[in-house]
Amino acid sequence: MHQQLELLLQIQDLRMQRRGLTDGTLTDLETDVFDIKVEDAIRSLDEKVEELAGELTRRIRERYCRIADKAPRVVAPVINGICYGCFVAVSTARASEADRNLRVESCEYCGCFLYHVA
Amino acid sequence: MKLRELFVPSAIKLDLAAETKDEALRELVSCMGLDEKSEGILYKMLKRRENLGSTGIGRGIAIPHCRSLVVTRLRVAFGRKLSGLDFKAIDEKPVRYVFLIVAPPLEVSNQYLPVLGKIAQFGKEADVPESLAEISSPEQFIELLDAKDL
Ligand SMILES: [Zn+2]
Repeated sequence: MHQQLELLLQIQDLRMQRRGLTDGTLTDLETDVFDIKVEDAIRSLDEKVEELAGELTRRIRERYCRIADKAPRVVAPVINGICYGCFVAVSTARASEADRNLRVESCEYCGCFLYHVA
Repeated sequence: MKLRELFVPSAIKLDLAAETKDEALRELVSCMGLDEKSEGILYKMLKRRENLGSTGIGRGIAIPHCRSLVVTRLRVAFGRKLSGLDFKAIDEKPVRYVFLIVAPPLEVSNQYLPVLGKIAQFGKEADVPESLAEISSPEQFIELLDAKDL
């Protein structure tokens, strides 16, 4: 897997976790069962995202910032050739799905970075 | 969906080799059948969740959980370490039973939260820690869930 894609995946997972705490879906469980302090958790997640984004190359960080500002999803999984960011078929390449993760690709329709799920 | 249908015998470890919380997380992640890179990402994500606050809910039970792009469907694993692990649990007691739950960001059937909730509820039942200590095979673990109609 491309090192920059690996960073993007980690950022996406953290953003997803943050979203679960802000849209209410995870909030009750995390506070009632696990005794999480939501505000502290969000701050900590934001710091980690910022730190990881700082490790992106300038070109990828600029693309990341453009997507991150307007949508919750910056990396979309590609499953069976479909981008799950926009549910449109992405162009098929001869390389195997796993090989395609050796490059940082974006969906030409929704702009998300693409992670090919094996 | 019943919990017992989600647990596969290969992801039920009644004698974890792990001596620490981190090792236990790694050992359970390795039950997921992922490639090395994906295992690494999942482990980091679980660690980051633990850093927000321990998933040790007390009475020897921990429920590490996260969503990650590296899994394609909801996955669960169970690990037991009878000598106990330091998990920085809410009651500061050692953790003996670890339920791992991971889910992709998008799930058609949206099971992540109900499953997390059911396992938390199971973990709070008075007789559960003792029952988990007594089982001697993955099949008995499944039978225990069955007996609770989970
Ligand atoms: Zn797309």
